[in-house]
Amino acid sequence: MEFGPGFWGPIIATAALLLITAVAWLILIGGRKITKAKPSAQKLQTYACGETLGAEEIHPDSEQFYSPIRRVFRPFYRYIRPAHTGILNTYLFWVIAGLIIIMISIALALG
Amino acid sequence: MIPHAPILAIVLPLFAAFLMPVVGILARRRGIKRAREWFAIAAVLVELVIVASMIPALREGQIIPGQFPVYELGGWSPPWGINLAIDGLNLFAAVIVAGISALVVIYSFVCMERDHGLDQYYTLLFLILAGMMGVALTGDIFNLYVFFEIMCISSYALVAFRRKWQSIEASIKYLIVSSLGTSVILLGIALLYGMVGSLNIAHLAQKLPLEPTSAIIVPLALFVTGFGIKIAMVPLHMWQPDAYQAAPSAVAALFSGATATIGIYAMVRVVYTLFGAFAIGIMLAVLGLVTMVLGALMALAQRDLKRLLAYSCISQIGYVLLGLGLGTSLGIQGGLFHLFNNAIYKTMLFMIAGAIIYRVGTSNMDRLGGLWKNMPVTAMLFGVGALAISGVPPFNGFASKWTIYVAGIEAGQPVFTIIALITSALTLAYFLKAFNSIFLGQRPKHLSDIKETPLPMLFPIMLLAVLCIVFGVLPQLGIDIVRPAQEAVMNSGGYISAVLGGA
Repeated sequence: MEFGPGFWGPIIATAALLLITAVAWLILIGGRKITKAKPSAQKLQTYACGETLGAEEIHPDSEQFYSPIRRVFRPFYRYIRPAHTGILNTYLFWVIAGLIIIMISIALALG
Repeated sequence: MIPHAPILAIVLPLFAAFLMPVVGILARRRGIKRAREWFAIAAVLVELVIVASMIPALREGQIIPGQFPVYELGGWSPPWGINLAIDGLNLFAAVIVAGISALVVIYSFVCMERDHGLDQYYTLLFLILAGMMGVALTGDIFNLYVFFEIMCISSYALVAFRRKWQSIEASIKYLIVSSLGTSVILLGIALLYGMVGSLNIAHLAQKLPLEPTSAIIVPLALFVTGFGIKIAMVPLHMWQPDAYQAAPSAVAALFSGATATIGIYAMVRVVYTLFGAFAIGIMLAVLGLVTMVLGALMALAQRDLKRLLAYSCISQIGYVLLGLGLGTSLGIQGGLFHLFNNAIYKTMLFMIAGAIIYRVGTSNMDRLGGLWKNMPVTAMLFGVGALAISGVPPFNGFASKWTIYVAGIEAGQPVFTIIALITSALTLAYFLKAFNSIFLGQRPKHLSDIKETPLPMLFPIMLLAVLCIVFGVLPQLGIDIVRPAQEAVMNSGGYISAVLGGA
């Protein structure tokens, strides 16, 4: 492929990825055979607010899934996310703001 | 080539749209089940054949006076008459549109079976198709606007198709924002007509360099804003998550794959062919970067799969804009290749979201989980789509993203490449979250009886998954498909001389 300097052979890369996947799978299977899980009744219990919950009643909150990553981008979530209000006036404000930004950018680019 | 293929590609879906209610009424009277759906599938497949028939003619440089590559309506030569002008760029867009539409109609066969008012649904779907084909193939800027309006108005109605409060609200917001967009496009056309006195794209492109630069700033900004709304470029993107979440999944799949492609096509045609404004490429690249980062960060925080996919759409369009904005051969090639790939995996992912809604009844990821056991094929296909969109080798997204990364470095913008790479990692992060929330983990009790996606719905998804792998393992195939389009973007002089000849 014309990807500039270097080499990228997609078929070789695919074969290598499949090989690595197969090796990883073998290690996983082997590991499970060597070390078997020994769950006790206590280990399977989940406590939340003083109550014992069944495994099928628990689901991680998808919004909090990447909370550490989102903490890195805190300023973005503090200022930009609240701008997505769902209010039509805000949408129209940003369209007009966008038009002005684009017009100024074009004027600068075309000199 | 099928005789009169350029005009047939527009007229066929238009006739199919208006025949649809008649077919529906006749089928009900005679008790023929699913006649309307079969008619829709037949019509869209014929459309695909018509569009595909133009590919060999274009590659061989075939010339049929008055018919190909410039189709003169009513025998009037351009710039006096309206014409359809076929080149690598618009045929590329037309093929994507016809292909995605065909798969969406097949997918709708089962996906929409529980809905009422399907005569209207298919009518609107074919009107969108007619509008998209018109935008792609016309050589007249006012015609482009009219077809763009046909496409947009039909899409407002389709967003509100299920008549729920949420969908009606999203449709009204979309209508108002998008109408503002089409209004500024119309204003841009009026300004151009006032300056040059022509509406033919090639004629305008020939005459505009003679106008002072200051005179083209306002019309160009109006066009970029108008089309920017359609492709959901930041900060004009806010309508999109509401509309994609509220629309039926088949419609969202069509929007993300086909109408987004048409929006980008129109932007490229106007900015690069009509205005020859390669100088504003850097602005498009910067807006592309902002679009990709904002889309990815917003997607990371979503609870609803369709809303996550909508923000992901915004982010991927950012990559396309970045590639196109770089303005180099490799950048434009990468941008168009990514547009092609995006149409494939984004359509596929929305179809999978639709399959989950069809079986479970929700796309809220907090109410899903452990569906791998019930829907293993769907889960595997979602995995393919997620890896492809995240740019993981050996899938197609990697090939196009890599082209854009290299183009960024070659254009002397390594910072652009670094931002694009980080955004790719964020894309993988939110798709892993989606995969984990939907298919892995503990399965809630109420999902234990969920069945696998029906085969007629799986068929188009599988086909798209195969394309994700094929264009990833054999990326040269994709580059070969894209190259005529990239050459057309770089050679507006060729377009002008093909349309106007010696005029």
